[in-house]
Amino acid sequence: MADTLVRTERPAASAEARRGAVAAPHRKGRFVPLLYVAPALVFYALFVIAPWLHSFWISFWNWNGIGAATWAGLSNYTAVFEEPALRAALTHAFGFIVFYTVVPVILGLILAAVTSAVPWRAMPVIRTIIFLPQILPLVAVGVVWKWIYGEDGPLNQMLRAVGLGSLARAWLGDFTYAFPAVGLIGTWVSTGLCFLLLLAGIGKIEPSLYEAARLDGCGRLREFWHITVPGLRKEIGVACNVTVISALAGFDVVYVMTGGGPGYSTMVPGVQVYQLVFTAGRVGTACALATVLSLITCAAMYGLNRLSRER
Amino acid sequence: MKISRVLAGAVLVALCGTACAPGASKEASGAEPSGPVKKGVTDEKVTLKLVSTPESGAAVKSVIKAFEVKYPQVTIEYEDNSVDDYNKALNLSLASDQAPDIALLNSVGTTVKDGLVLDLSRYAKAYDWDKTYPSTQLNQWRVAEDGSTLGTGGLYAAPAGFSLVGVYYNKAKAAKAGITTPPATLEEFEDALAKAKKAGELPLQLGNQQGHASFAIQLIGQSADGAEKAAQWTFGQKGATFDTPGNRTAADRLTAWKKKGYLPGSANGTDLQTAVDKFTKGRGVYFVDGNWDAEKIGDKLGKDAGFIAFPSPKATAIGTSVAYAISSKSKNADAAAFFLDFLHSPEASAAEFRAGFMPADLTAAKPQDGTVMKDIVTAWGRVNEDNGLVGFNNNATATMNDKLTATTQELLANRTDTDGFVKAIQDEWTKTHG
Repeated sequence: MADTLVRTERPAASAEARRGAVAAPHRKGRFVPLLYVAPALVFYALFVIAPWLHSFWISFWNWNGIGAATWAGLSNYTAVFEEPALRAALTHAFGFIVFYTVVPVILGLILAAVTSAVPWRAMPVIRTIIFLPQILPLVAVGVVWKWIYGEDGPLNQMLRAVGLGSLARAWLGDFTYAFPAVGLIGTWVSTGLCFLLLLAGIGKIEPSLYEAARLDGCGRLREFWHITVPGLRKEIGVACNVTVISALAGFDVVYVMTGGGPGYSTMVPGVQVYQLVFTAGRVGTACALATVLSLITCAAMYGLNRLSRER
Repeated sequence: MKISRVLAGAVLVALCGTACAPGASKEASGAEPSGPVKKGVTDEKVTLKLVSTPESGAAVKSVIKAFEVKYPQVTIEYEDNSVDDYNKALNLSLASDQAPDIALLNSVGTTVKDGLVLDLSRYAKAYDWDKTYPSTQLNQWRVAEDGSTLGTGGLYAAPAGFSLVGVYYNKAKAAKAGITTPPATLEEFEDALAKAKKAGELPLQLGNQQGHASFAIQLIGQSADGAEKAAQWTFGQKGATFDTPGNRTAADRLTAWKKKGYLPGSANGTDLQTAVDKFTKGRGVYFVDGNWDAEKIGDKLGKDAGFIAFPSPKATAIGTSVAYAISSKSKNADAAAFFLDFLHSPEASAAEFRAGFMPADLTAAKPQDGTVMKDIVTAWGRVNEDNGLVGFNNNATATMNDKLTATTQELLANRTDTDGFVKAIQDEWTKTHG
């Protein structure tokens, strides 16, 4: 998000940089940029790359985290795809993309288009309210929603108050509704972020484009479809990136609300990895699942970035 | 290009750091010490660290006080952590440099296999624990050479009070429903449930979000199959199976009760504590739970709170001891063992009973007449008379609790049937004990 904003706000900066690059081809200077990134790179290598490689390495072992390990070959990886519980976790992660990404981006687009078209005075308040879920710790969000969905919680009380008591149930204990119930929290959290990102993006779309469209007799809807949406291509890309990662790597909300249950109906890879390590003592399998998840995430990011790149 | 070279370097460094098998080399703890043990404590000042959970630790805190008064040269530092966190962190903490001397052991898991706790057989012999405790009570903490089969082999923990799971009932509601005598067989229990339903009450309160339907299943199963056979399965002994007539009846009954509306519809979305709250507010005539909730239920229901061992001609109960083990890393194992021996002293027994556990020395249990604690002591006596105490099915393997939770939820939601349930549980067991 940050680099999109910087790039668009200061077109002069990149021009300067280009001139600088042409003017300084000293041989010594070739190492200077590396010096600048070195601190960050060292930390990244130590705390991200090395642990990732370590966990990749562990994924080839049968190890309970404490005792002696035995070589497992690829058996941990076959387990990830063959054990129903582990496979279900991966499938659910993709299901959550609908709730964390697809719905929030669509909602965010509509909200952003509507609020930018109508200059309400209450705008700052609306923005704050829509963005609020994003700044709450996810564990707190989970605890609050668990109460809302509870058997005697506000949701069921509301249903009973309007005469729909027959629909009331323990939402998180129901095999059919637990998954969407947990997923909707993702929508609630992500919509604010998408909305704000897209609203900022709309602000930088050339106003003359809208003027031209209006002169050509475009309605609001065609304006939205032909100018706003294409103009937000990059922002939509960023919103998708951020939310897809949170969908695939989710842990807090599910752990707090259902722990993966009932049955395995809301199990996600994050919770499964945690259980494999701390309850089952299958650190190797957990690392294999984590590796598969990180590869899937990387692949998804690559695909998304290709899609959102400007043609 | 530069970046890729740096990355390659990082990869190399990381690989060098990890290029060996993860984990400690085998038998890090070395040979167990042998020979005679020093009984008692010397005048030397000793500090021991003990870790526990709040529920189980309530008793041990007062035991520590009594012990320190008697032996002022010993200081015992007490620490506790919630059950979930405790179980997850215990092995790591025992393997660390700051390992505690004495640790609560909730299940054997891989703690013994990894050599993290001492074999207490030498101390058991020196202090005559075999004579203090009935064999069924110590057997739960005996672990065979393979590190996963229980019931035989070295002793790895000493008991500090027992828990038992049975059936609570609301005396007022039962009387109103026309249930005059407590049921003594499964058939009578079902009749009682039917009567309760007819009277417009919820017959059996249940919270299954954390899988507590497994208690009812185990109780029905083991009272039909017999405690001895059931214990073989929980101990992981070769050839045992979950596919028994008793366990099949149990799964059948539970699904039937769900269909007949004997169980709350929201059971899968209710956790144990919420179910306890509901039961104390009068929702439910019967409730299967352990003595750890006796104080809460007794306080709220008062004279209406009753407790029986699960209805069966031969009384059985699910139960285990709060048990403490000594870390392999402890430098004061002898002093720690002396404290473990103190756990069955009259002072300790009284403290354990006050905290709701059944003490080793039953003469310390002096409940008031008409209280739920009185009923629990009576049930405990019956169960021990019939030698019917069986450990938790949930502790049969490290993952059995998760499996029982998921599959009982499926059973109640009609997502699986008796065949599927029994097979899933046995398959999970075979992964460890097969």
